Amino acid sequence: MKPEDLVFSTLMLPLLGAAIALCGKLIHSHKRIAKSFEYSGAIIGLALPWVALILLGQQVLRGEIITGVVGNWYSGVGISYQFDGLSWLIQVLGFTIGLVAWIYSLGGGPKGPAFTTIFLIQTAALAATIITTDLFNLFVCLEVMGITSYVLIPTSKKPGASLAAFSYLMVSASAMVFFLLGTYGLYRITGSLSYEGISLGLKIISPQNQMIAIVSCTLLVSAVAIRVAVMPLYGWLPDAHALAPHAVSAVLSGVLIKTPLFALSRVLMLFAQGPEVGQLMSIAGGVTALAAVIIALSQKDVKRLLAYHSISQIGYIVSAWGMALQFGLETETGLFLMIGAYLHALFHALFKGLLFLSVGTTIDATGQRNVYVLRGAIGLLRKAGERVPITFFTFLVGALAITALPPLNGFVSKNLITYGLNNSYLYYLLISASVGTVASFIKLGRIFVPGTNTKPSRIKRIRFRSRWVAQLTLAILCIIGGFWTPTVIEIVAKLLAPHQHMVLTAPELYTTDSLLKTLWITFGGIILYLLIQTAPLKKALTMIRTRPRNFKGLFVSFSLGTAALALWLLV
Amino acid sequence: MVERILLLLLFMVGFWGIVGKKHIIKKIFGLNILNNAAVILFIVEGSRIGTNAPIMEQTGSSIVDPVPQALMLTAIVIGVCITALSLALAVHLYKISGSFDIDTIRLKVQDEA
Amino acid sequence: MTTPKTFKQFWGLFTTLLAIFSIGAVLLPIFLNAHPWPTAARDYLAMRGNTDSGATNLVSAIYLGYRVFDTFGETIVLLVSVLGTMGILTRVESLVDASSDDEHTIGTVSGFSLSQEKRRSHTLRTHLLEVVTGKIGPIVLLFGFYVMLYGHVSPGGGFQGGVILASGIIFLALGNPQEGSSGISNPEILVRIETVAFLILVLVFFSGFFMGNGFFGNPLESTQVPVGYIVLLNAIIGLKVGTSIGFMCIAMMGGGY
Repeated sequence: MKPEDLVFSTLMLPLLGAAIALCGKLIHSHKRIAKSFEYSGAIIGLALPWVALILLGQQVLRGEIITGVVGNWYSGVGISYQFDGLSWLIQVLGFTIGLVAWIYSLGGGPKGPAFTTIFLIQTAALAATIITTDLFNLFVCLEVMGITSYVLIPTSKKPGASLAAFSYLMVSASAMVFFLLGTYGLYRITGSLSYEGISLGLKIISPQNQMIAIVSCTLLVSAVAIRVAVMPLYGWLPDAHALAPHAVSAVLSGVLIKTPLFALSRVLMLFAQGPEVGQLMSIAGGVTALAAVIIALSQKDVKRLLAYHSISQIGYIVSAWGMALQFGLETETGLFLMIGAYLHALFHALFKGLLFLSVGTTIDATGQRNVYVLRGAIGLLRKAGERVPITFFTFLVGALAITALPPLNGFVSKNLITYGLNNSYLYYLLISASVGTVASFIKLGRIFVPGTNTKPSRIKRIRFRSRWVAQLTLAILCIIGGFWTPTVIEIVAKLLAPHQHMVLTAPELYTTDSLLKTLWITFGGIILYLLIQTAPLKKALTMIRTRPRNFKGLFVSFSLGTAALALWLLV
Repeated sequence: MVERILLLLLFMVGFWGIVGKKHIIKKIFGLNILNNAAVILFIVEGSRIGTNAPIMEQTGSSIVDPVPQALMLTAIVIGVCITALSLALAVHLYKISGSFDIDTIRLKVQDEA
Repeated sequence: MTTPKTFKQFWGLFTTLLAIFSIGAVLLPIFLNAHPWPTAARDYLAMRGNTDSGATNLVSAIYLGYRVFDTFGETIVLLVSVLGTMGILTRVESLVDASSDDEHTIGTVSGFSLSQEKRRSHTLRTHLLEVVTGKIGPIVLLFGFYVMLYGHVSPGGGFQGGVILASGIIFLALGNPQEGSSGISNPEILVRIETVAFLILVLVFFSGFFMGNGFFGNPLESTQVPVGYIVLLNAIIGLKVGTSIGFMCIAMMGGGY
């Protein structure tokens, strides 16, 4: 099989699976036949691509990059694509979380052929976004990803979910129109839509067209930045991720906010202003990490707390990614930071998915979402049918991972990032955010502590088997990521920069320094948690939680953010 | 030149509709106008380099640029799909809250969430 | 607009104007740019577009030949939006049925209804409307098929023809005097055609792989009629778009699903 065909099979197989699962919807009479259509669609779409990924993995590890034009048409008009190490890594991320979340949805989430179809289409769109090197194709792939999210969020049947989906739709669809205008600007001055054509064209443009290039770049970056939810563009995310069904929250937080970021890195390499954009994004990322964790501390709904944490962790990833672009991937520091950014994206997807699924099981079993009210969840889960406290175990693994305690994977990735940043002011921002993370997870962990609920809880007996499979898989992957660190780092390094000639040795992560730092951060987190029990801080946090948020704010922040980026690049 | 200024004004009107109006259906109008302004910009500007439609009846005729037209076919269909989905969401929001005003809806659903 | 009295009103107005002006300032250079439009793509396509793909309509050659991947993405967006819209509307309909007496019952969803009970009572459904649309329906369908199948030689194609097909389907549904709507405006049949059309579309794209040209390549490239691929794709896309949009509109008018 030709390598080009293998590349496209990772996205055509989920689409074929979606078409088959959709046929299951037509058959109303025999439930069994309909279900077999749906399940075979899911197997074709989520399990078979792994064969292709393993075969492709061998090729990219050797350093080969597969490029070409879709359908072998003329490259000036056709759609070009590129499959390299970065594409492989992101597709592995997407398919892992997709498979696990779908297994969870068999027991706990929305069921039915329509859900499976849309879920498979979303997975295919993720695979397509990261291999494309054509601006308009990136627009179409981002729109497909977006529309599947707008449709999947209201399937949880909560009233707030429709409003969340509506706000997300409005903001994202308008952002994509700005993306289209950026494409217009670049096509006008370079005559091409593919990245190669644009970069060739940008080298020969006249100085007065430089401004058009910069403004187009601004529009492209800010349209993608809405999807990635850095400050100040984060407003849609807490509602959307908190009110979606649990399996969908896991995929949204785990994969859909990261793929556009890495697709953007391909675009930014075309522009001479790429490093400056990286610099601004890294500052925004650092501020996001700290601000979001403070807001997370104030939340009382468990899933909303996790959603704000997603924003904070994406701040980590964006700041590492931004600085990597600023230094450039040819330098050692730049490559190092990009490895840290990717690993944190992968590990965050694993432990955040794990947390959403575990907390989701707890919510379904106990019927309570308020973190101040819910207590003794282990006992309540036992009454709902879980004899061995598996959900508590998986929650513990996720919480230890996100607070970066060794030997779990969060420790590895967070320390890689802070090691790479080395005493710049970003370093201090991220360390403070880590302290906040520890404090808020102590707060969240209290739901499992034995105690009496202030409100009577409605225990539901729920089906646990598929939830256990999904949760345990993610927990095992988190633990493996922590133990096999040097291998993982070397593989990722070879994939991200296949032509580097320097030997990148994995830094020693278990030094006394880093362990002491972890100890201090944990200690600081415990103190912070005790402090927020006091009255004045409690009042401050309540004020933060009830701050006015409205629809218009999303757009005002988008406009101001875009204008700020444009100003930053022009002066 | 005049067309470009008019299109910029049209775009701003659409954006104002989304941001400044409180009625949900008017916001959806605004999104539609925004989309259409971008589409018309592509087509009008792409048509400046030729005089005939891009159908090759005889060779040597000076045709307009067909690439923006093909791209905008895609953009128009995507715009229609988004409008349909947003209208369905608007109907649902009206049904559960009784109003089309976005601030009222936000207050009502926050109580119930 | 009266002069804002309270601080809240003033703040609201101020933020709106701030947003509009900042975006306007950013977009000004893009919209007013006067750089001559690039001709490279047009020149290549004028020379080779017909021979590469076999179609004389170059726009069809682009969106069903060179950039067929984008068209596929667009079809998928349509599929997802129809699934989503129908999912939300069925939920609204069940809410309406459950509480059909209070003031929250909106006239919109079941208002212009095609279902027998409500049909006669709605004031807009006049006899004139039903007769005219019922008679025009088949003619519009025929025109839609023409536009769809001749897309490679004249302006038209799958999407344009599909939308005209959808209008034809809606006309037939509106003009149908008896219940148990016959043939093409029956929602069950529309859903079946749409699903099967999507499956065939995916299989057609797979066929390029089996014919050795890679996914999305033209499997008929080495035969006498490479343009057959474009005609086939136009037909499938037209059916899919027509039945999707027709089904969605019939559902929005309250026609039972």
